[in-house]
Amino acid sequence: MSLLAIRRVVLCLAASAAVTFFALPASAADPAKLIETVAAEVIEIVKTKNGADRQNAIKKVLQANFDMNAMGRSALGTHWNQTTEAQRTRFLTAVETAEARAYSERFGQYAGQTLTVGKVTTRPNGVTIVDSRLNQSTGQPIKLEWEVRNGSQGPVISDVKVEGVSMVMTRRSDFNSYIQNNGGTVEPLIKELEARAAR
Amino acid sequence: MRKARRALVAITAAAALVSGCASGDTGATEVWDPIETPNRILFSLNRVVDIIALRPVAVIYRDWVPEPAQKSVRNLLDNLGEPVTAINEVVQGNPHRAATTMARFLVNSTIGIAGLFDVATQLGLERTKEDAGKTIGLYAGAEPENGGFYLMLPAIGPSNARDGTGLMIDYLVDPFRILTFNLAIDWTVYQAARYGMNVIDYRSRTIFALDDLEKNSLDYYAALRSAYTQNRADLIRQRREKTDTKSELERRDNLALVR
Repeated sequence: MSLLAIRRVVLCLAASAAVTFFALPASAADPAKLIETVAAEVIEIVKTKNGADRQNAIKKVLQANFDMNAMGRSALGTHWNQTTEAQRTRFLTAVETAEARAYSERFGQYAGQTLTVGKVTTRPNGVTIVDSRLNQSTGQPIKLEWEVRNGSQGPVISDVKVEGVSMVMTRRSDFNSYIQNNGGTVEPLIKELEARAAR
Repeated sequence: MRKARRALVAITAAAALVSGCASGDTGATEVWDPIETPNRILFSLNRVVDIIALRPVAVIYRDWVPEPAQKSVRNLLDNLGEPVTAINEVVQGNPHRAATTMARFLVNSTIGIAGLFDVATQLGLERTKEDAGKTIGLYAGAEPENGGFYLMLPAIGPSNARDGTGLMIDYLVDPFRILTFNLAIDWTVYQAARYGMNVIDYRSRTIFALDDLEKNSLDYYAALRSAYTQNRADLIRQRREKTDTKSELERRDNLALVR
């Protein structure tokens, strides 16, 4: 190895060490805190609210803490580019309602679940993975991983993985298959999502 | 010399081909499902059976059978499965883990009264569950998301080439099956009861997740296909993790770039 190459390596190491040193305290602490706050909020909502009230409250939590835009975009995949601006807005609104309803119905009665946040891993592209466990009163704890990105107003959640199953990836396969079986365009998918949201 | 060079060229070409595939495989691609039509037909049949028979039984089992009884059944079935787990752990190159599993089996079969009580866990011998599908996935060079073609099995449900083969291997190496077969005792009834109970127990524990997935998907078949593949890949990644911590995270980075 030439001296120059060694110097480059050393510089590189020094730079990455500096980045890690300065970047970690800020970005590693926030995502974990975000997850804890969101979990506490959702548990509080499930404890105190029901029906439409609960759905609206959860929708607010989703809008404030989740990057619904990026998630919707990822879920549409390559079809995103074929949609008009109006279609995108309609799609995102319908998906938001669907997710809010799914979450509010998922929990039913609060049954003593708690969330323990574990390891936090920061990736070079700015994405942070927060490991956590959902402890139940009976049975095994459920493994939950949160993907957190830096949004314009602080960190936002961009995906949730339950036992290794990513919400965005599952939606992506689901939507893609629906589009392919319904003429290959996004319009029928949006109509179906809107019809379900109106129900 | 020329032969050697030709071989080198061939190897380079092959490597380029393989790595070409690898770099194109971002994990964002759809599950490979070349026999989707027959799979979907079997899926509909499975669902009919599930709706009229399996799910109701599983619901009754979950809601009406007392919790301790369910736990004992679970323990009993788990205990019968320990030898297969131990065999897989040996093949996976983890003899220590296999020894722990066999210790669990011996403790629970004796002190735990034929496996009805999980005494071993209280003694600090933690339970692991391995199957041949995971073992194949551990050694296969492919991404764990790539388990060969997707396969809908009758009664058992979602699977793929890898896990289907694994299921068959596990069945063949299962000491309990071999033992009862060689003793020439007519234990078919017990075997059938064991597999039947396994299905009901497993179904009762997946009611919540599957109901949720069905309700919140437009194409249940596609959503289940994706969820199954991801869940299995996650289990295999946990086994691979010792040597390959980064793969999953890098996959996620790639996914973020694809869109």
